[in-house]
Amino acid sequence: MSGKQFFIDRYAQLGWSYRETKPRQALRINLSVTNQKPLLERLKDNGVLLNKVPFLDSGYWVSRSRVSVGATAEYLLGLYSIQEAAAQIPATVFSELNGKRVLDACAAPGGKTVQLADLMKDTGVIAALDIDRRRLSALSNHLERCHVRNTMVYCHDARKARRLKMQFDRILLDVPCSGNFAADKEWFARRTLRDVERNAEIQREILSEAEMCLKEDGEIVYSTCSLEPEEDELNMDWAIKSLNLEIEEANCAGGNGLTEVFGRKLGISLAHCRRIWPGDTQGFFVCKLKKRRNSSD
Amino acid sequence: MIELIQRFASKVSAKLILNPKLLVEKEGRFFLLNKDMKSILRNDFFYAGSYLGKLKKGKFFPSFILLANLATGKANKVIVKEKAAWLFVCGRDLFPEGIKEVQGSRRKGDFTLVLNVFGECIGFGRILHDLNSTEAGVSVQNVSDVGDFLRRER
Repeated sequence: MSGKQFFIDRYAQLGWSYRETKPRQALRINLSVTNQKPLLERLKDNGVLLNKVPFLDSGYWVSRSRVSVGATAEYLLGLYSIQEAAAQIPATVFSELNGKRVLDACAAPGGKTVQLADLMKDTGVIAALDIDRRRLSALSNHLERCHVRNTMVYCHDARKARRLKMQFDRILLDVPCSGNFAADKEWFARRTLRDVERNAEIQREILSEAEMCLKEDGEIVYSTCSLEPEEDELNMDWAIKSLNLEIEEANCAGGNGLTEVFGRKLGISLAHCRRIWPGDTQGFFVCKLKKRRNSSD
Repeated sequence: MIELIQRFASKVSAKLILNPKLLVEKEGRFFLLNKDMKSILRNDFFYAGSYLGKLKKGKFFPSFILLANLATGKANKVIVKEKAAWLFVCGRDLFPEGIKEVQGSRRKGDFTLVLNVFGECIGFGRILHDLNSTEAGVSVQNVSDVGDFLRRER
């Protein structure tokens, strides 16, 4: 239950023909710190040529650069962040974010936390959790560099988020996952189906806990960079059957989520998820979930 | 806690008004909360709100958020040319030929914020010789610069 051919055969069964891909380097402009046009001109003057990512408001692909985009003065001043294009999608899927109470349950190294703060225009509050204390320094440096002011960071397991004793309007679950071959050259050699199933189980635990911390009518955006349906559509199918959640249309780039996986038929609403097979971006999966109102209301 | 931060602000001739009720300290690091955060922050936080700086061996080290904040108002400022700005970010000192404009103190021994031509604060330094003089050599000694974000990752 492992090896390159095993996984390639699975992708073929899901309707995608495997091909070698290399995701393009991308960055995201922090609009609460700067304006796009003058920054693009500055970067161009420094020999950094960018192309707009068509499905993102402030995301750009790096076409050519004389310098490392992770070491320019503009980067150090927090005017932009280096963030893979598909990874910029989840935070944009939420409806209204201004003034909201938001949980970023698996936050380090903080690319999506900073993006959320940017989209929230530094209003409201973000609680950013990560289980690994060593990764919190990277997250904190990211927040300081980008002048984020609305975030509180805790060393905390997302599976015990209720201990915060808070209810949230929005929850981002960019859960730990098996990753994908486009972002990891050794992926096929390293991964087994057992790994995928183990990760899927942890993801369900995180989902269950998140649902408990979500206000009625609140939204969860669930995302992985895994191509394996156990971590994506099958987990979402489980979530709508086991938790008080329903799937809403994710208004973003990507193809429809799968409604049939290895002969198993799933709920029709799974089509509202977004699945991105590797190409210009890495592989990605996004689903927007809404907490149902109690029927007594 | 508030005195430490305001003492640093006065070193660069800046004024800083902070609400003491929104200031918190965690293991020698100081944070300014927003109002929404104040009532919900738990004691076991790692980072919160705006990071203002840290106290290490009795000395206050300002954050880049604090420096940027001070640079928006009246303060000692040295605006530097493009090449000098890049060298400063790489940890180098400033020489007279790299300085485009001086605002506030020019006096030897004073501290000054260092800004690039876009008005963005890239760090701060100490004036090593009177900036009115024609003396050659280092004018502003680099104390801290935003290149520190890269050095922290090593």
